[in-house]
Amino acid sequence: MLKYFWWFIIVALLLPVASCRKPGNASTAFYYWKTNFNLNRQQAALLKQTGNNAYIHFFDVSWNDQEKRSYPNAVVQLNEIPAGLNIIPVIYITNKTFENIADTAVTTLAVHCNRLINELAAEKKIGYTTVQVDCDWSLSTRGKYFSFLTAFKKLSQKQLEATIRLHQVKFKDRTGIPSVDRGVLMFYNMGKLNAGLHQPNSIYNEEDAGKYIDYLSVYPLKLDIALPLFSWAIHIRDGRVIQVYGKIGRQQLADRSHFKQIEGQANYRATASFFMEGVYVKQNDIFKLEETDGNTLNTAAKQITQHLPKQQHTTIIYYELANIDLSKFNQETITQISARF
Amino acid sequence: MIWACADSYEEEYSVFTPEYFVNKQYSPFFYTGNEVYYGLGYTDGSNTWYNDNIVDEWYEHFNHQFNKASLQYLLLKASAGAVDSIYRKSTGSLKALPAKYPAIVTGNISPKMLNAFYSYLRLAKNAEAYSVNDQYYSWDKVKPNHSPVNLGPALVGAYDKETDPFIKERIWFQMVRYYYFLDEPSNRTVKLFDQFKDHFPKNLIYYRTMGYVAGYYHRQKNYALSNYLYSLCYDYTYKLKIPSFWSFHPQNESDWTATLKLAKTPEEKITLWHMLGVQYDAGRAIKTIAAINPKSEKLDLLLSRLINIREVGTGWGNTTTDSVKKSDNAGKRLVEDIASKNNTAKPYYWNLAAGYLNFLDSNYTSAGKYYATAKNQFPAGDKMIVAQAKLLDMMLYIKSLKKMDANAEAKLIEPLNWLANLRDNKLKIKDLRFSNAISVCNLAISRLYKRQDNTIREVCFNNNAQDFYADSARVQHMIDLLNKPDKTAFEKAMLRYYPITLNNLYYHQAIMLAYQQKLPEAIAQLKKMTPENFLLAGNPFTGRLTDCHDCDHEAPQKQKFTPLSFLQTLYTLDSEIKQGKNVYRNAYAVANAYYNITYYGNARLFYESDVVATGPTGRYYYEDEPRMDDKLISMQVAIKYYQLARKNAATNEQRARCTFMLSKCALNEVYNDPGFNGYEKLSEGKISKAVIDAYYNYFAELKAKYNQTAYYKEALKECGYFKTYADKK
Repeated sequence: MLKYFWWFIIVALLLPVASCRKPGNASTAFYYWKTNFNLNRQQAALLKQTGNNAYIHFFDVSWNDQEKRSYPNAVVQLNEIPAGLNIIPVIYITNKTFENIADTAVTTLAVHCNRLINELAAEKKIGYTTVQVDCDWSLSTRGKYFSFLTAFKKLSQKQLEATIRLHQVKFKDRTGIPSVDRGVLMFYNMGKLNAGLHQPNSIYNEEDAGKYIDYLSVYPLKLDIALPLFSWAIHIRDGRVIQVYGKIGRQQLADRSHFKQIEGQANYRATASFFMEGVYVKQNDIFKLEETDGNTLNTAAKQITQHLPKQQHTTIIYYELANIDLSKFNQETITQISARF
Repeated sequence: MIWACADSYEEEYSVFTPEYFVNKQYSPFFYTGNEVYYGLGYTDGSNTWYNDNIVDEWYEHFNHQFNKASLQYLLLKASAGAVDSIYRKSTGSLKALPAKYPAIVTGNISPKMLNAFYSYLRLAKNAEAYSVNDQYYSWDKVKPNHSPVNLGPALVGAYDKETDPFIKERIWFQMVRYYYFLDEPSNRTVKLFDQFKDHFPKNLIYYRTMGYVAGYYHRQKNYALSNYLYSLCYDYTYKLKIPSFWSFHPQNESDWTATLKLAKTPEEKITLWHMLGVQYDAGRAIKTIAAINPKSEKLDLLLSRLINIREVGTGWGNTTTDSVKKSDNAGKRLVEDIASKNNTAKPYYWNLAAGYLNFLDSNYTSAGKYYATAKNQFPAGDKMIVAQAKLLDMMLYIKSLKKMDANAEAKLIEPLNWLANLRDNKLKIKDLRFSNAISVCNLAISRLYKRQDNTIREVCFNNNAQDFYADSARVQHMIDLLNKPDKTAFEKAMLRYYPITLNNLYYHQAIMLAYQQKLPEAIAQLKKMTPENFLLAGNPFTGRLTDCHDCDHEAPQKQKFTPLSFLQTLYTLDSEIKQGKNVYRNAYAVANAYYNITYYGNARLFYESDVVATGPTGRYYYEDEPRMDDKLISMQVAIKYYQLARKNAATNEQRARCTFMLSKCALNEVYNDPGFNGYEKLSEGKISKAVIDAYYNYFAELKAKYNQTAYYKEALKECGYFKTYADKK
């Protein structure tokens, strides 16, 4: 009996140390951002192995300048939904919509959004308990956006989440805190897209994140974390960024008959003018590759966990599943990253 | 992934007017940084793009007998049901039309023709269900737009029966389009097109039909053929240019070279290169087309785009990130080369272009030579091109100047006035792009004067010299210049570019003096203004426990103050203090006034009306943003007068009030401290201790000495910070 008692003491002594940040208390989810919801076998498997949580982009809300009204854009086409999938509808609202919409039309917009989500869900018999709203609001649109969220919550009676960008964490006194049940910290796109060949990765880099991360500890909203799985190539002409492509990667840029690697991390200069994947490449254009891999995510996870306040449960949402590079990210990497939280 | 460049400053980057050199039918593709199609913004969508053509074609078909408004209604608005009713009315099987339909006026058109028209129309209306695409633009439930399966055979049957070639061609169009939308595995879109294409004239509807075939091939990933067909449509007519251009998308080098091989004539090849040039690479296309036919009209648009795109580049400075020289250089050399061969259709255009591209590269001698050559080739009597050349000449002359002297000034009088006349709409030259020339010229002249230490003239041409207005002596010089009765012709021309008025300058001098507490001098300046009074929103002599500008602005005011009456009253009160009259009351009011004309007070309008002031007139929000001028946020003068008031107060109530006001000033000084970073807890920032202590000391004083006063109790009620403090200790 005494033996067991001592065990109890030891366990009790160890517990507080471990529970400061008890790892493995997070669940894994994926964003799905393509208009056509269609999982291939590997994507479906990965989803199933990691807990079956999908934040599916249902539609955008954009602003029609000519007719001065909002409209749903890029509405998802839900094809075959795997059984047992836990779906959280996500809608993206352009800030321009709130810049232009009348105060009096905000509630109607909430009605429209709620109805369209319900229609899309009902069509595929999807039950959902949570909705996520994504909008990069600004000081001038904050009032309208926040009252939209309040109106929407009242209508939908669901758990409501809003995306939070790093600057909104740091400058919370100016930008305000949306009244939602949870926030999702978008832990990517932190640097400005730029043409500098030696500039750090704009998708994620520790230094830029460091300018904001201290403020995470005092942010009053409970936060889930969105992490990037994407890479892209920045197309630079005459020193200016002209476009960004997710479809162009190492494979295309390795073509020695058209590209030459130049100074910097992963920069390539075109040696001729030609078409590639629907993109016109002009001689001397530069492609700057910005990538995310397991190491990036590990660094990011480490950085966040040092500052994120203790909370019962965190969801790590990976952006995103439709364009995931499965050679870089498999079930094991993803699970390991989530386990750091 | 689409990521558009968000910079939107470039509306006025250009001084080269494509309208003067390029056939109007290419105008949607003139280079523009902020519209999809130049002059059109973006089009109102393909659903309505051909509406006018459709009505006109039928109007011609009926030899102008069918009333145009009736045709518009039937073709563009009427539902299938409406068409059916109107048709039955025309055959007599329906006695009267419901009132909601407009009267249809058909003149003396034969029943046979009408019959054929209505039959066609009933088929065509069914096609709208799938061919009119608006599904994603409305909150209404997204409707499926599958082609009805049974419409195909009906169209084929109607086609076989139809004898009128005009209608037959339109049914053919409907058939091809139907099968395009049906999106079935068999390629009936192509088969039907090929089977009957030789039966019809090559008109608009023919090429619209071909457009669906091109779309079909695109869907089949046969990009080579698809893009080739689109190029034929593009070339046919203005109306087809935008839709075809929009759809023209080579994917990989292999399909692009295959498209080129499909071209049957040099002209077709030129069109393909032209389309590539417009969308992607003007220089490369110019080079190729000039080798095929240097007189091709399709070069003109490309040259204008090459120039206009190069102009935008000039705004960006030296941002090249690697050692490679800008490829623009290649563009310039190419244009020079073609200009020198002198074998184009518009040699003056190429010479002006070569000159201007050299100008943009600061090769002023070469620029001058090309301009001179161009001038000898101008088409006689073309005033537009002369104006364009004048503008370019003026810019070249100014940029070539080494210094501003009497000679240069004399030469500039006429062009400076000319440009100002254009700006002021006293002279109109259609389409001429001159705005950017104003800033280019002004900046260049201003730099020359700066080098020659002529600050007044530097500022006249570029009112951007940061500290010019901080020096009241210099401002006085400017006032003297504006007041000078016998200005020279050059001074007159120059001052047309100086945006500041005498009134602005007097006002600026006055408020600078007011912040220095030089009230008689400030009043004297204000009195020089031609009356342009405005009212301050609130009473600047009142103070309140917690600041509320809106409350002050809405509060009933016996007297409204203009800046002049405000300063005069302030001066009276201040004078009375000096004479020892009512010192408490006056000092308290003066303190409020000096408080209120800062950022924290109710009379921000006092400084915000100073159009001459540079720098921010509101508090910075984010770090790294510029801070306001000290005089607009400093509390020192207000503190001085609140202290004076307290010293002369008669009761503890008065002293409590002054002490609380002093704590407000002290808190504002905390906000002013460079170490303040927006934290709610003062201890979290890096604010100097003395500044924080000053603030809390007033609270301590209030609590220790005046806690029995009514004002103290009010402060506890109104001011949360104070209550927290008072409760804590």
